[in-house]
Amino acid sequence: MPIYESVMQEKPPIVLDIGNAYTKLGFAGEAYPRKIMPTEVVLTTTGNTKRLFDYEQKDELYDQIIDFLQTIFFKHLLVSPKERKFVVVENIFGRTVIRETLARALFVHFDVSSVLFVPAHLIALSTLAVATAVVVDIGYSETSIMPVFSGVQIMSAFKDQSYGGSAIHAEIKRQLLETGVKESLLTESVLEDIKVRTCFVTTMDRAHSRSRGDENQPKPPPSVDYIICDNDTMVEVPGLLRETVYEIMFEPNNERDSLPHLILRSILNCTLDVRKPLVESVFLIGGGSMVQGLLPRLQQELQHLLTNDPYYAERFHD
Amino acid sequence: MSFMQPSPVKYACSCGILNPINKLFFCRHCPKLRCGYCVCTEIESHFCSNCLENIPSSEARHKKNCCANCFDCPCCQHTLSARAANVPVVRKSEETKEGESKESPAAAGTPPATASSKPSAIPTTKKIYYLSCLSCRWTTRDVGIPDQGVASGTWPENECLYQARFNTLVDYYQSIVLQEKQEKLEFMRRKAPKQHKFPSLTDRTGLTVSLIRRQIGWHEKSIPKAKAISIPPAEATADVGSLPEDIFTEPLNLRNITTIAQRHGQPGDQPTAVSNLYPQRRSLWIKRSLRCRQCEHNLIKPEYHPTSIKYRIQLFASYHVPEVLMVRCEQPLQPGKANAILLKLSNPTMYDMTIRILSALPPEEALISPEAFQQACKIKEEVVTSSPLVRNTGLTLSRQNSTREVKREVEDVSNAEIVPLESEFVLSQRDDSKEFDEDVQLPTEEPKFIVWRKGNKVLIRLQFTPADELPPNTDVMLGFFMQYTYVNTVSNASDKKEPTTHALHSRIFINAGAIEKAN
Repeated sequence: MPIYESVMQEKPPIVLDIGNAYTKLGFAGEAYPRKIMPTEVVLTTTGNTKRLFDYEQKDELYDQIIDFLQTIFFKHLLVSPKERKFVVVENIFGRTVIRETLARALFVHFDVSSVLFVPAHLIALSTLAVATAVVVDIGYSETSIMPVFSGVQIMSAFKDQSYGGSAIHAEIKRQLLETGVKESLLTESVLEDIKVRTCFVTTMDRAHSRSRGDENQPKPPPSVDYIICDNDTMVEVPGLLRETVYEIMFEPNNERDSLPHLILRSILNCTLDVRKPLVESVFLIGGGSMVQGLLPRLQQELQHLLTNDPYYAERFHD
Repeated sequence: MSFMQPSPVKYACSCGILNPINKLFFCRHCPKLRCGYCVCTEIESHFCSNCLENIPSSEARHKKNCCANCFDCPCCQHTLSARAANVPVVRKSEETKEGESKESPAAAGTPPATASSKPSAIPTTKKIYYLSCLSCRWTTRDVGIPDQGVASGTWPENECLYQARFNTLVDYYQSIVLQEKQEKLEFMRRKAPKQHKFPSLTDRTGLTVSLIRRQIGWHEKSIPKAKAISIPPAEATADVGSLPEDIFTEPLNLRNITTIAQRHGQPGDQPTAVSNLYPQRRSLWIKRSLRCRQCEHNLIKPEYHPTSIKYRIQLFASYHVPEVLMVRCEQPLQPGKANAILLKLSNPTMYDMTIRILSALPPEEALISPEAFQQACKIKEEVVTSSPLVRNTGLTLSRQNSTREVKREVEDVSNAEIVPLESEFVLSQRDDSKEFDEDVQLPTEEPKFIVWRKGNKVLIRLQFTPADELPPNTDVMLGFFMQYTYVNTVSNASDKKEPTTHALHSRIFINAGAIEKAN
């Protein structure tokens, strides 16, 4: 079929997902990204690395984006961006400055032929061939929730909170400083490594008995001796830390803005007829959702809230 | 020139960014300075940095920009090397070849030292190969990849777990696109008015082609309509697994858990356990060529072969523009106090240069020459654009590109007043043989700012005054224009054979050092 062939023979579009912590890049039509790299630029003037979106002036951001894209094209993807098609996965409520500067850099400096911006929550569902779900994105700087019904994002029900990867890092740092670890040791990469390799989300029973302050507290998991290679030192990561850092996502408070509350409230913001299909499928994306134990905990918490919390019980069980 | 420290002398590129001269290029056709920001990068060739093999771009695209033979360590990203080991094979006379090949992977597990010859059989050894990292001692045996019989063996690809599902997804979306396109075509065909001069017979009688076909008894002629493939949607599950109980009791062994860099090195499955790491195919490198954005001429073109570090075209600025080196300041820097700086200028070209140091932009007539030269280049430029259609419209493609990127103003960072030199001076051509000559300096009348002169180098003394209210420890920046004559040997126009001379100018900023603390 001629149309089909012409679709196939075209150079595949380049897909960029520039996150706050990591950038995913690759080509359309491939099952996984070619490369996942930190969203950082090495400044040519000083040789220091810097986060891409740390900037003071607009021109500075523009130069950084150009440097960053230059490394992507000529170090990782090894294709000339000229007259290529681009798909950029973006946060739908991301800053306009960044989107515009990125588009300007692509069109003006790199001469690309087209750029398609797709919202991250919506496009994540296309991998499932599902049109309706609550998409929860646990990213680096924030956790955001977007219900999608029949392939349409329900904007009014969008929710976000600041507990993402960076909040977990701050919590690990706080707890480690309390145990008397020197602050200079705890760089961002060390904190990230501790988070990824040692921490997990505990079960609801244990978390609740801890927060109630029961007499027989559950015994914390064994602590881990963590070696920081750059400084030739060893840090003891307490078992309590391993178990409790993720609790900032589930902390009960009067604001009702912990992760399970946020999901349920987001669903309640949708109209009555779409709530049932939405509550049936919750889809977690983002690097933060890969932590061990998060899924069972979230399931327990959601079910607990739906049965025991009168506010939700009366609205969801009609 | 110091390679270890940032150079104190910066040239303003034609796009307005300050750069040391070793990062600049010089477009002979424009003729202007160009930096990495105002050139177009193109990919010249792909090669593997380990085996230095040239890989054609179509093959590189097919192999996902990875080398077919070289692997990286999934633990430390170092290159893996193939190691050979001798494995004793017990070859019995009645044993078939199949049995032998079956035995060898099993034998691979045992260290070669234990297997000394067995008395019953003839001891023969067989070479087997495995990959090993010389940096972190990771081997393919650690993760249970069977050893190979040939050094550049067929190492297993780690296929993505969801590849089949992904392919159905791709098929599904492609069928939707196809259907949409076909429907649009059908719609356009139906909407388009028929191009008949006379009303056809079938129109009047209502006898259509399909009707006739049916009457004759033929099959209905119709294009098979593309139907969207149905795809089973992913199902939500209530079973999300549970946290293993032993996580609360068992001590954690960090050696078995991958770091985030190791996970990202394998983006297909991002394993959490070290035992799931697989050797990664080494990604290719490229040789790039640079092109001037304005006139689309090549500035840098490397030689094709990966082992060669030479260039076919190399228009580095340090081959064309006089190089300014800061030697020293005569006195400690004090705010508002007159001072002098010694600068060493050298001429890299084969022609004598006349140089003037100015504190302001040279008068208008000096500026015209580059534009006039560009006019002369016009003929060449039109040849570059191949399409005759574009040429006829009088609009070259190169023109379109150049106007895109916004030109920046040179940021004036100077905070000192310089005294421009009273006269121009000549910098003689570079002559390598002169370097070894006896120093017979003819007593010539030199301007008094020239301190020393030898061959193509000259040491000049430039007077300046730092601004009055500079606090201590701030850097004093000198800014001036250097006007120099440049002889262009490139002959674009056929009627011009002899080289043309232009007066060019560069804006230069020198970091003279920090203000001394007041005593």
